[in-house]
Amino acid sequence: MNCEEYREAIGADPSYGGGEAHVSACDDCLAYRDEMRVLDQTIGRALAIRVPELHTPDLPEVDTTGVVSLAERRRFSAPAWMAIAATLVLAAFVGIRMYGSNVTYPSLADEIVAHLDHEPYALRVTDQPVDDGRLAKVVPANIAQMNHDAGLITYARTCVISGKKIPHLVIQGERGPVTILLLPDEAIDDTVQIEGESINGVILPVGGGSVAIIGERNEELGTIQQNVVNSVTWST
Amino acid sequence: MNSSDAGTTRRRRFDELVAVFHQDMYRYAAWLSRDRTVAEDVVQESLLRAWKSLDSLRDDAAAKHWLLTIVRRENARYFERRRLETVDVDNLTPSQEALLADQPDHELDDMRDAIYRLGDDYREPLVLQVLMGYSTNEIGELMGLTQGAVLTRLHRARLKLRDEMDNEMASGRSKS
Repeated sequence: MNCEEYREAIGADPSYGGGEAHVSACDDCLAYRDEMRVLDQTIGRALAIRVPELHTPDLPEVDTTGVVSLAERRRFSAPAWMAIAATLVLAAFVGIRMYGSNVTYPSLADEIVAHLDHEPYALRVTDQPVDDGRLAKVVPANIAQMNHDAGLITYARTCVISGKKIPHLVIQGERGPVTILLLPDEAIDDTVQIEGESINGVILPVGGGSVAIIGERNEELGTIQQNVVNSVTWST
Repeated sequence: MNSSDAGTTRRRRFDELVAVFHQDMYRYAAWLSRDRTVAEDVVQESLLRAWKSLDSLRDDAAAKHWLLTIVRRENARYFERRRLETVDVDNLTPSQEALLADQPDHELDDMRDAIYRLGDDYREPLVLQVLMGYSTNEIGELMGLTQGAVLTRLHRARLKLRDEMDNEMASGRSKS
């Protein structure tokens, strides 16, 4: 991460916790981060204007015939139970994982989704590829060989998932940036689907490890999956 | 459950949600419209709409996002109806001035003035992030933007505010 990248990330979110290696070696960026955090406190106080007393308007009668009570609405349907059971099986398989400062995730999928928010800068829309040197550093030969067939790689960084350093890459999809995490030590038997309000993705078994691919909600991941899987060869 | 019980339960659920999220609704409306009186109207309309469509809210955990989305739409409707012109910050109505002079603190007054001057495209994501605690993903979803666009707007918004505050400080120094 260079100064420009770090400042964009801090400017977009002063609570951004990434880039520690950079900021610990760059006094200017450290000062910029502190300045942004102080500014943000002032912004927060300025936005928190006084709120007048609540006056609920006259509410019209609403026909509640046929309205399903909240308790009934929260009852899980059969497919939902099956999904929960599948999640529990996955969680039991993956085990309780630790990340960074004592944060526990029930599953590999949960940890991966949480990781996306740690690095907002990674998800910028750009047409600037990372250079080969950077890519080779993040995906060293003793972990995997990866060629550029996966797509336009615009971000590459070593991250920690399940306590292990792994390559975190971003390529540009049709709907926006697509995150790719190479997980050479995470063997899974079957594909795991990841669904969120604004994301969709998969964790694919690849050789003795796996690869997580997560894009925007409407991103069509089929071709990207194929390209990524074809471009990765584990070294271990 | 008979009709009367269902009505009572429904009203209790509504009151509980409003008690929790009224402040967020008002502040969001106030910074969207930049006018306290308009914000009160928008919140009243939003409460009515929320009451009528309460049964479409399947999970109360999503209530904040649901209510803020209603406020956003009501604010847009309000301005479509009134066809209000762009606000001139040097020629404000008392209701608009009331937003800026919220608390007697020069630094906060200056910051509110700077936020007030921000374009809607920059002010709204900032309010959602700083005040409402939204992630950039959630902001993008609400505003129909990519996450990259949200990040860019947030960064530029802060740079604009920093520059405004620096200018204000320099101008204060030159006056004194």
